[in-house]
Amino acid sequence: MQKTRSTSAMFGTAVLLLAGCGGSGSDSDAQATDPASNAAREAALEAAGGEELGGSVSMLGLLGGEELDAFLSVLKPFEEATGIEVQYEGTRDFAAVLQTRVEGGNPPDVVETPAIGEMSAFAEEGTLVDLREVLGNDVLDANFSPSLIETASVDGEVFGIFSTVNLGGLIWYDPSTYEGPTDPASWDELQAWAEQAAGDGSTPWCVALESGAASGWPAADFIDEILLRQAGPEFHKRWSDGLEPWTSPEVRAAFETYGETVAEGLVYGGTTTALSTNFAEAATPIYADPPGCSILQQATFMGGIITDSLPDLEPGETLDFFPVPDFDPAFPGIRSISGEIVGMINETEQSVALVKYLASPEAGTLLAGTGRWLSPNLNVEDSVYEDPFLRRASEVLVEAEGTYSLGNSLMPQTTVDAFWKAGLDYTQNPGDLDEILATIEETR
Amino acid sequence: MIADRVGLIAIAVVLTVVVAVAYLRLGDRALAKLPWAWNRRLVPWLFLGPAALIAGLALVFPGVSTIILSFFDAKGTTFIGFDNYSSALSDPVTLIALRNTALWVALLPTLAALVGLVIAVLADRVAYGGLVKAALFLPIAVSAVAAGVIWTFMYDYQPPVAAQTGTVNALLTVLTNTDPIAWIIDAATNNYALIAATLWTQAGFAMVIFSAALRSVPDELLEAARLDGASEWQAFRHITLPILVPTVVVVTTTITVIALKAFDIIYVMTNGAYGTDVLSTLMYRELFTARDSGGAGAIATMLMIAVLPIMIYNLRQFRHSGREA
Repeated sequence: MQKTRSTSAMFGTAVLLLAGCGGSGSDSDAQATDPASNAAREAALEAAGGEELGGSVSMLGLLGGEELDAFLSVLKPFEEATGIEVQYEGTRDFAAVLQTRVEGGNPPDVVETPAIGEMSAFAEEGTLVDLREVLGNDVLDANFSPSLIETASVDGEVFGIFSTVNLGGLIWYDPSTYEGPTDPASWDELQAWAEQAAGDGSTPWCVALESGAASGWPAADFIDEILLRQAGPEFHKRWSDGLEPWTSPEVRAAFETYGETVAEGLVYGGTTTALSTNFAEAATPIYADPPGCSILQQATFMGGIITDSLPDLEPGETLDFFPVPDFDPAFPGIRSISGEIVGMINETEQSVALVKYLASPEAGTLLAGTGRWLSPNLNVEDSVYEDPFLRRASEVLVEAEGTYSLGNSLMPQTTVDAFWKAGLDYTQNPGDLDEILATIEETR
Repeated sequence: MIADRVGLIAIAVVLTVVVAVAYLRLGDRALAKLPWAWNRRLVPWLFLGPAALIAGLALVFPGVSTIILSFFDAKGTTFIGFDNYSSALSDPVTLIALRNTALWVALLPTLAALVGLVIAVLADRVAYGGLVKAALFLPIAVSAVAAGVIWTFMYDYQPPVAAQTGTVNALLTVLTNTDPIAWIIDAATNNYALIAATLWTQAGFAMVIFSAALRSVPDELLEAARLDGASEWQAFRHITLPILVPTVVVVTTTITVIALKAFDIIYVMTNGAYGTDVLSTLMYRELFTARDSGGAGAIATMLMIAVLPIMIYNLRQFRHSGREA
């Protein structure tokens, strides 16, 4: 879901607030002759069967603003080499637009979305093409890990390939002002520091949950992450698959652990501020004088969002991250990921070429070079990450004992919506937890 | 791309006119060959035909299929009777939405008519009236989504320790020296805040209609009243207002319908969180999130039933005033 959200942030902040911020036009010019672009052009030509197919392919997704520019720069070599024009349509109302167009008999050729659970519903209805047949077993297995393939499969059919990956559960902070532990051994150690800081009169946690129609997702994602690492991957998997009730003690505990970060005195401005601040603005108080708060939990993409609005920050000096420490010694070194998948609705020469291209390591290399996302492609080397945060994030992923997808991106959208709202309601009224969990349970 | 579209639009405009004229000309000629009695009977249908066809396709057909869908399950395949209605009405969220929709219907038309009428009457009496009217009228041109974004910024909340970036809270804290209010999050204020944002986009409409209607109040009547010693308030109360009653009805019914189908501003500003759901946000969620066409159809039908008496009353008023004229 990350992209749903950051797209809405781009819509809200980049377009409307920072209407004057600079574009990235110079990047695309520079890419024209570098080796990565040349390799990508060759891969694109191969994907198109060696000929300039021409024509066009329509693509529906959620990206907008600077994220869309970054993604389009990955598609540029494909368009140049094959003559195929990619018509990317970005909308915040992805689900509604897609459903209307599918039912109206005018679906886009290719879709890109973080809502994997929603796509799996479309796949079950037979709307999506089986990509295992389009790409072939060899290509699929050579480029994607079995768990990523499995995540976007239903009844043995692969309905999506991952195009972008975000590493979740990072604590963003300003090294020049932050005084807490940067390599805490456990959540308790970090939270003990936070409580001590609160006792000394400062508010440690920055939390911002507002995100338009998707408000509440930052809380839901964090609770999801806590559940994965506190109750363990096996429980988390059963919960994601809908086999464990929301009212179970493990889910309750995850909500309560999240609740420690938004307790009165620990969160910047109190819970009302957390609820009313857009997630893209979450880091702003870190850079106030004196800092309003010092630690912010969010995935890798937050680095790009923070530096979009505060371009003077120096990675490693005034902005950095460390992974959220283990919640339970029984489940050490576990990391969560989320990302967007690409699916195909209309199988045309052009759409097949595009999906083949996006599955190639060359396109993955370009994507990694944008500095916005990790590439899901196994053949993309860690050395291509020029962005220091992404390079560190890819190291964290390599060192992880286990990597799992966040559960809420796999669930039906009704449940996801209820989970987001529960994140808001629990933040506002922590005393009503039983009632809140029962409400989500009812949506299943 | 844009040139293509302009071309298409031009073709569409020309084609529509040509087809319409050809239809009427040829139809009229064909009917002229019929006996007089038949001609008399069929000519109205010749003119009504196209409008009836379009209304049938765009209104009656979807309306009827919505009602039919509301008796079927999520996929629209199995008949389940009134289950969608009973499950909707037993859901606490629907009850909140019903309460809020009632609140919208009670407040929005009343406030819009009141503000519109007051400004329309008073603006004519001051030199800068045109400016006031323009300021109230301009928001009509703002799309509802843009209005939602604008008011999200207006209602922005920052903790008391920080500078208030939202206009409303900035004024509040400076003028009254109290703590800022999280307008669209606090359950005590959020529904009123959303209604106020919508009022901003609708009051101008009411004012324009009232301004036009005020021109129809005969000056000699007002003058006569003043000569007889009526105060300004009495002249307004006993002469202007009775003449404006049909206009008040038109304005309030129109805005009542707008209040019943309020969606965009709520969707943009809260998406129904913190107890701000109304029937239309619920309907949207049923259809596009839960993908339950039956449940969405049931809510749509309930909305339709709620609008019906207002429409009937409005039509009666039109017929009534038509007879008078």
